[in-house]
Amino acid sequence: MRGNNTVNSGVRFRMLTDDQLEELYNGVLHVLEYTGLEVHHEQAREILKEAGAWVDGLRVRIPSYLVKKSLALAPRSFTIFARDGNPKHDIHIGPGRGHFGPGPTCPNFIDVETLERRLFVKSDVPLVAKTVDALPNIDFCESLGTVNDVHHELGALYEFAGMFPNTSKPIVAWSYDKYDSAGIHEIAVAEAGGQEAFERRPTYIHYCEPLSPLVSTKEALDKLIFAAEHRIPLIFTPCPIAGGTAPVTPAGIIIQGAAESWMGLTIAQALQPGLPYIMGGVFSVMDMSAMILSYGAPELSLMMAGLTELAHYAGLPLWQTGGCTDSKTFDEQAIIEGSLSAFFSALTGGDLCHDVGYTESAMTGSVFQLCAMDEAIGYSRRITRGIEVNEDTLAVDVIKAVGPNGHYLRQPHTRRYYKNEFWYPNLCDRRNYEEWDSMGKKTMKDRTVARVHEILATHKPSPIKPETQKVIEKVLAEAEERVKVS
Amino acid sequence: MSEIFEKLSTAVLEGDAEKTHKLVERGLKQGLSPKEILDNGLIVGMDEVGARFKRGDMFVPEVLMSADSMAAGMEILRPLLIESGVKMLGKVLMGTVKGDLHDIGKNLVSMMCEGAGFEIIDIGFNAGPEKFIDAIKQHQPQVVGMSAMLTTTMRAMGQTIKAIEEAGLRDQIKIMVGGAPVDRDFANAIGADGYGSNAPSGADTAKQLVGAA
Repeated sequence: MRGNNTVNSGVRFRMLTDDQLEELYNGVLHVLEYTGLEVHHEQAREILKEAGAWVDGLRVRIPSYLVKKSLALAPRSFTIFARDGNPKHDIHIGPGRGHFGPGPTCPNFIDVETLERRLFVKSDVPLVAKTVDALPNIDFCESLGTVNDVHHELGALYEFAGMFPNTSKPIVAWSYDKYDSAGIHEIAVAEAGGQEAFERRPTYIHYCEPLSPLVSTKEALDKLIFAAEHRIPLIFTPCPIAGGTAPVTPAGIIIQGAAESWMGLTIAQALQPGLPYIMGGVFSVMDMSAMILSYGAPELSLMMAGLTELAHYAGLPLWQTGGCTDSKTFDEQAIIEGSLSAFFSALTGGDLCHDVGYTESAMTGSVFQLCAMDEAIGYSRRITRGIEVNEDTLAVDVIKAVGPNGHYLRQPHTRRYYKNEFWYPNLCDRRNYEEWDSMGKKTMKDRTVARVHEILATHKPSPIKPETQKVIEKVLAEAEERVKVS
Repeated sequence: MSEIFEKLSTAVLEGDAEKTHKLVERGLKQGLSPKEILDNGLIVGMDEVGARFKRGDMFVPEVLMSADSMAAGMEILRPLLIESGVKMLGKVLMGTVKGDLHDIGKNLVSMMCEGAGFEIIDIGFNAGPEKFIDAIKQHQPQVVGMSAMLTTTMRAMGQTIKAIEEAGLRDQIKIMVGGAPVDRDFANAIGADGYGSNAPSGADTAKQLVGAA
C-alpha cells in the first residue's frame, strides 16, 4: 500500500499564476471602488446604499470590503435539479465540473427539414428542447432563438413554455422583463409543488444581462431583484466587446466585465444572502474589418479562460462560452471553431458553457451545430477525464499473462475496461473505406442531420404534471391579456 | 422445446460458455438432435451477434466471448454431427504468410470462423508457401485463409497463391485474404476468391465461399 502520493487524474489547464490573478482581482475591486457603475434602478441603488455602497446620482461605487463580503456569501458548489427527479439530469456545479448547453435569443434558425435559414418561431422551441434532452453531453437547455411569431413582449414566456415540457434537464431562462420572470417562475413552482419545494430543489437558472460598459439597466435589475427575492439561482452575464465596448486587451476586458458582473452579485447577495450566483459572460473581440462580435475568434477562448480562472480565484462559478461559430453554414469552419472552443472550455473547467449551437456570430441558432458539438464535447470530456494510475490499470500482471505475440482481446482486464477507457463516437466514422462506401459515403453533415431527425422522431422526454400544463396555459392567457391592454 | 433453443441462443449472445455447454448437454438428454441444437440454438445466437456487431451494438471482446461459447457447444456437437452424417461447414486452414510475425488478426478470424461452425487448422505465422501446400495436402480444407499485417509482406500472399496453383491444388480450395493493409482490389489482383475487412466479415466470407451464407 502506498500513502500520500499526489495524483492528477485529469488534464489540468492553468493559464494565469496566482500573482496575475491577484492583479486582476484587485483591478476589479479598484474599478468598483473608484470608478463605479451607473445603476438605472432606484430600488437597487437603495439596496446598495443600505449595504454600504456610495451612491452619487446614478453612479454607484462599492467599497472593496463589501465586494469581498458578497463574494464570500455566494456558494462555489450547488446543484440545479432535473424537474422530474432524474438524478442523471441534475447539474452539480463545483470545482472541476464543466457543463454544456445552447445559448438564447438568436433571431434566425436553421429549419430542421429544409436546412434553410429563416426566422426563429415558436414551434422551433420544442424541437431544440427535445434534442437537448436526448444528447448525452448537453447538460442544460436554452432555446437557441427569440420567438418571432408571437406578441413581441411575450417571446421569452412562450420560449420557456415550449422548453419546460420537452426536457427535464435544467433550463437557463432568459426573459424580457419582470412580468416574464414571474410567469416563468409560476410554471416552475407549479411543477416543483410550491415555492418552498422549488427553493430546496431549484430546476432552472434565471439569466440577466447588464450593459457594457459599466451600466446596470432597469430591466436587468428588475429581473435580478425578482430572482433574488424568489431565491432563483442567477446568471448575471455581460457581453463586452474588446475594442468596442471594453478595453482591447484581454486583461482589460476581464476587469471591466467582472466589475459589471460583481455589481449584480453585490445587489443579489444583499437581498438574498447565499443565493447561487454564476458570473458571466461572453467576452470576445470586435472584428475590426467585419464589425461583428466574433464567436469563433481564438481570443474568445483565451478571454473566457482568463475569466474562468478569475471567477474560480474569487470563489464563483462561471458562465462559460464555446461550441459556437461565425460560419453561416454547417461546414469545416463551423466544426473547427466550435470544437476548439468547446475543448478549450472543457479544459478550463468553466462551470456552465453556453452558446453551443450558435452560428453566424449568434445570429442563427442551429440544432445541427448543437448535435455535432455534442460529439466534440464527448471527445473533449474523454481527454479531460485523463489517465487513472493504480495497481490494476498498470496491468503488469496482464502483460505477463499475455506475453510476446499474444493478444489482449480475451483478457478479463480488457473486458473490464474497454468500455470506460475508450470513448466511442456517435457521429465520427471509423469504418473502413469499403463499408463506408457501401453505406452511401455519408459525410459528417449527413450523419448529423440523420441523428437530429432520429432524435426528433423517436425521443420522448419525461412529461410534466398535467396540472403544470394547465398552469402554462393560464400564464400564457394572462400574458396575452396583459399585452392586449397595454 | 422452443424454450431451450431460446436459452441457448441467449447464452451464446451473452457469451456464457459454461451455460452454453450445459444447455447443449441438456438438449441432447431431452432427445433433441445435434442438428436441431446447432441450427435453432447456437447459430441463431451467433447470427444475432453478427447483426449486433455490424450495427455497432456489440464490440469485439464480447463477440469473442460469444464465439468461445459457440465453440464450447460445438465441442460436444461436432463428433455427433459427423457421426450422424450431417454435412459440416468444413475446414478452414489459416496462416500468416512468410516474413510476417503478426498473429492476432489471423487468430481473431480463426475464432470467428470456429464460432460460425468451421473446423480450424492453424499453421501459425511466418508460414512459407511450402507449409501451406503441405497442410492443404494433409488436411484437405475447403477454405484457405491468409493474413498479412505489413505492406512489405502482403505480396507474399500473391506468391503463396501462385505456388498453390503450381502445386496443382488451386481448384480444390477457395482462398480468402485479409489484414490491415489489404483491400478488395488487392485481393482481386492477386487472384484470391474472397476478402474480409475485419474478423466477423472474415467468417462471413468463409461461409460465402462454401456456399453456406
